[in-house]
Amino acid sequence: MLNFNHPLDHLKTELRRDLLNMIYQSGSGHIGGSLSSLDILISLYHSDIFDFTKDHFVLSAGHLACALYTVLASKNYFPKKLLSTYTSFDSILQGHISASVPGVEYSSGSLGQGLSFAAGLALGDPKTTAVCLTTDGEHQEGQIWEAAMFANKYKLGNLINIIDVNGFQIDGSTDQIMPLKSLAAKYIQFGWTVTTVDGHDISKLIKVLKQSKKSDYPNCIIAKTTLGKGISFMENNFKYHDVKNLDEKVYLAAKDELQY
Amino acid sequence: MNSNTKSSENQSIRQSFGETIFKLAQNNPNLYVVSMDLKSSLYLTDFARKFPHRFVECGIAENNAAAIAAGLAKTGKTVFLCSFACFSPAINWAVIRQSICYNNLNVKIVGSHAGLMTGDLGATHQMLEDIAIMSSLSNMEVFSPIDAVETQKITTILSRSRRPAYLRLVRQSTPILYDKKMSFTIGKSQILKKGKDITIIGHGPILNEAFEVQSQLLLQKPNISLEIINCSSIKPLDFETIFKSIKKTGRLICLEDHQKNGGLGQMVASQILASKFHPKFIHLAVDNQFGQSAKDYHQLYDNYNIGTKSLVSAIKKIYG
Repeated sequence: MLNFNHPLDHLKTELRRDLLNMIYQSGSGHIGGSLSSLDILISLYHSDIFDFTKDHFVLSAGHLACALYTVLASKNYFPKKLLSTYTSFDSILQGHISASVPGVEYSSGSLGQGLSFAAGLALGDPKTTAVCLTTDGEHQEGQIWEAAMFANKYKLGNLINIIDVNGFQIDGSTDQIMPLKSLAAKYIQFGWTVTTVDGHDISKLIKVLKQSKKSDYPNCIIAKTTLGKGISFMENNFKYHDVKNLDEKVYLAAKDELQY
Repeated sequence: MNSNTKSSENQSIRQSFGETIFKLAQNNPNLYVVSMDLKSSLYLTDFARKFPHRFVECGIAENNAAAIAAGLAKTGKTVFLCSFACFSPAINWAVIRQSICYNNLNVKIVGSHAGLMTGDLGATHQMLEDIAIMSSLSNMEVFSPIDAVETQKITTILSRSRRPAYLRLVRQSTPILYDKKMSFTIGKSQILKKGKDITIIGHGPILNEAFEVQSQLLLQKPNISLEIINCSSIKPLDFETIFKSIKKTGRLICLEDHQKNGGLGQMVASQILASKFHPKFIHLAVDNQFGQSAKDYHQLYDNYNIGTKSLVSAIKKIYG
């Protein structure tokens, strides 16, 4: 169930419909995580906190490309009609996030590298903010913790790591595959400022992002989300990590639920 | 001439790198070094002291360091990512592949202690696979300098390019083969010695073994002359110079302190098979084995069939 209490909330359904159409028309996409991260991306791109012509955004979890492409199209980085070409030969919209797409700074797909890349941006461009989106499953990669050490050493107050914590990964729940317990406790130990927020509440997300922009220490925002958010039968169902050739009935049922 | 003995001509390739970077940084405020706790081994201590804000110490964490370097490069810096080859690019290859090569960023990966030449440190540190893993990456250029002079030239040229590159360095001090006035061009091989009978190609200081063999031949078989070609630009590789030489000699030996699989010899062999030339060919390289410790790396060169004895046998076989 989607909640509506912010002027941007109409985008929650609009962009979920775009996302669903894109994945249905193109025949594939990582729908579960894209739906869990979408409201975070809306808060980043449709608020005025950051100016991404100067500030940086790194999608470390490159498989969430569908969500970012949908949001970038909604901000007119490229025409919305391109979305249906996702993963087609010769399309700029590669399966995993690609810097060939206007508005995308970093090509990714192999997990765990983006936070380091964002830390490099934060160090090299200290007058701007580098925002990175990672996932909870991705925190099983050791490199994330190397980056956490590094950001603390260099006191990268202009680095924000938003973790989309939906509790699932490709083969099951993160607790079953590799439990990490409290990410907050770990980041605090690593010297970061940590805030936990409802990752589907745009007002709260915007408030936390504003606070994180002014900080002396690297910032970790733990965004609690729901895999497949907004489409009841996809929620918390890891079989919807990614889909191939979505059945028309399933597509129509999903579309039916996405009303503002 | 035994290249392991301390002659006044021997100079350290990695020291040449460290000193060159230090000099370049004085006139290039955009030049950064990303280190993984090996600054003294790569002679970067002066750089770190003089340019603390451009010396980024990542500690023993090669994956993070490679992507930090990529991020810095994205903000317009020229970044040298410095470690031993057995750690970087060996540990962080997947990060180099995605964050540096696929994103096509201005990072130069500098891997020292390549080859059996690393000696006493043993198999873990004798990186024998770096050219294979780096030359297979799209957007990546690969260089293996032969001496301290060429190291200085290549480092200088790389500091001006905007592309990803890998620079292979060795641990030992080695003989100086080049005059200080030499000029290096990316994608060009250099004929170090002209000859008519056998073409010897290779990269790095192991080519000194070919010079030693040539001087032995002068005494024993003065009628055989070797054409020795330095292929320090491994990717892009100058096939034209090699083809011109084998057209003349009809015989080719590739000598390298690297695994046979994925080494220079295989790259050249593949091009030759597709060409109209069909020279006799012998590839002297480490063949599907790990190295081991030795006080004098020549013991390893002999044992792994890439030393002077093996080269002499190869010459006899290919000539006879």
